[in-house]
Amino acid sequence: MSVEPMKLFFKEIKEPIETAMIGNYAVAGGVTQTDPDVICAFPITPQTQSVEGLSDVVHQGRLKAAFVNVESELAAISYSTAAAAAGARAFTATASQGYLLMSEALPMAVGWRVPLTMMISARAFNAPNLSIWNSWEFVLTDYGWNCIVSENVQETYDAAILSVMISDKSLFPTMFVHDGFVISHSVQKLTLIPDKIVQKLTPKIGRHTINPKKPGTWGGIVTPSFFMEGRKNLDEAKEPVLDMMRETFKEFGKATGRQYDLIETYNLDNSSKTAFITMGSMCGNIISWMTKNKDVGLIKVRAYRPFPYEELQKIVQEHNIEKLIILEKSDSLNNLLPPFSTSIATALYPLGTLFRSFIVGLGGRDVTRDEFDVAKKKMGAVKDMNGPLYTYLGVRETKNKILGVDL
Amino acid sequence: MGSPTESYVRLSLNEDLVRSNEQVYAPHFVAILDPSLLGEVDVTAGIPEGGWLIVNTVMNQLEIQDIVKRKDLNIATIDATRIALDILGRNITNTIILGALVRVSHLFSIEALSDAIMTRFKGELAGKNIKSIQQAYDETCIYESGKDVDFLIHTKVPWQQVELGLPGYKEVDKAGVWYCDEEIIPVGSDQVNTGSWGEWEILWDKDTCTDCAQCWYICPDFAIIREKGDDGLWHMAGIDIFHCKSCQNCLNICPVNAISKRMKQGPASCAAPEETGGN
Repeated sequence: MSVEPMKLFFKEIKEPIETAMIGNYAVAGGVTQTDPDVICAFPITPQTQSVEGLSDVVHQGRLKAAFVNVESELAAISYSTAAAAAGARAFTATASQGYLLMSEALPMAVGWRVPLTMMISARAFNAPNLSIWNSWEFVLTDYGWNCIVSENVQETYDAAILSVMISDKSLFPTMFVHDGFVISHSVQKLTLIPDKIVQKLTPKIGRHTINPKKPGTWGGIVTPSFFMEGRKNLDEAKEPVLDMMRETFKEFGKATGRQYDLIETYNLDNSSKTAFITMGSMCGNIISWMTKNKDVGLIKVRAYRPFPYEELQKIVQEHNIEKLIILEKSDSLNNLLPPFSTSIATALYPLGTLFRSFIVGLGGRDVTRDEFDVAKKKMGAVKDMNGPLYTYLGVRETKNKILGVDL
Repeated sequence: MGSPTESYVRLSLNEDLVRSNEQVYAPHFVAILDPSLLGEVDVTAGIPEGGWLIVNTVMNQLEIQDIVKRKDLNIATIDATRIALDILGRNITNTIILGALVRVSHLFSIEALSDAIMTRFKGELAGKNIKSIQQAYDETCIYESGKDVDFLIHTKVPWQQVELGLPGYKEVDKAGVWYCDEEIIPVGSDQVNTGSWGEWEILWDKDTCTDCAQCWYICPDFAIIREKGDDGLWHMAGIDIFHCKSCQNCLNICPVNAISKRMKQGPASCAAPEETGGN
């Protein structure tokens, strides 16, 4: 039995096709078009259909790839990393606890410089309760993966192809993220790219691989005399990656007509010199809300890792932005800004731009015009950087009271 | 017919408005495929004055108004189940009800809908779907309230996504535990009437049953009731209709045909031909 939306990908896509499907199947289709050699993942909500769709195209004979079932996410990332090291184009996907279970093996994909790609359907991790719904678990670890975040189904489909391009160019693994359920399970309009164009964008090029003719130990132990040099070597290799991403977006835009950038901006030259800054599906909500709120702008971060801090500084300076409202779907519990906000605060430090961070939408709670209205109003009153820099927004304090909101 | 689900679609000529990923809180048109949901789910939640409620039912407008307790809505009814059984031969009403939606909404035409059907279905099946949609369009009964819906007004209740009334962060357990003797998070899964989701009523014949308990093992919802008898042994005692979703695993595994099914007597399914027991 096959999955209905995947049928589009059973034969060659010759012309751009306008269609509608959920984020996960769109990703499965995009990955299919990049012609991976190995697909190895363990199912977890809300990631499941991406791998299910890929099993379908492999089963139908459309994709000549090894589809490997494993017993856990740790096995999936280990297998995928090794397959990529052996020269395969490999894809895996996960979310939440699965991502945490992968943790042990995530750094090695970076260390070995393998161009592995991974989809993440962002989902809360379990504490204090289990939740299958959306939060940003992926911001909590920083092992050196490239990371791009998508707002909608079109973007996540494109990201499946962009990630292969970026990985191949940079020789660093790339994860691409969409918000679980909000995008992974929403049917949205998208335009598919013809196979020929995808093939041209993602050629299989030679690189360093495990090679029986040139045996060597990968990941062998080193003494304190060597380890630091290995790390600095990686750090230096990461430096040009942002430029590579920028070039990749340009190349992709030329081939498909869809222009992306590391950071995208909307209505920044506004009367209040204030802008929201966030990433993912919330950007769509804000853009929609902005049709009636023209006195505030939006900065949408598309490339989360490496973090384009110089780009952000330039944007803030060029548009004379005085205040930034950070919206983040994760928290830190340590009186510190959570990871996304920390990244922005680091970039803003030399500029002295005022900001506050609002923690919203944890565990799948909807982020609506109410949150945007209150965040905008609260930011209007901010005059300095004194006091707590973050607050939760849209959380019940007691049965009849919302924290920080006068009803 | 399975667990109650709801799904929404946003239509607008302004791309920025459709770009929102916010939940839909105030739908202008609501189509109900199964009338048994009317009393069970708040199907009119968020519909603004003058919005449309489209129901697959043989009930009339007054009966529906009575159940949903709203008089400011426009109501359209269509017996989609009968059309489905007549033309498609199966009780699947999701394409058919679109005929009624086109009739009252004028958002798109029957022709555009037919084109979409033909890209999704092939041959005879496409023809049957289009025929039943056309019949639904023609047979839809319309009761207008005299009010028109205003598409420009947002009617979302502020902060409804935060669900006031449930415990706040100062009131939940410090470790997120749901203690059995406290009602902090009141709705456990045993309180959910999953029995209402089923299409069939499952019947058990005490005289034929041999107490082999195969049904008890196979039931995924622990909906087979067994009781300990005076002889100290466990005996089959009946079906827990509050939880039985009528998956029919028990019916299929029963070696002596002691379990049978009967279509539930709902308003829309009353036109269904009586099926014989067993398989």
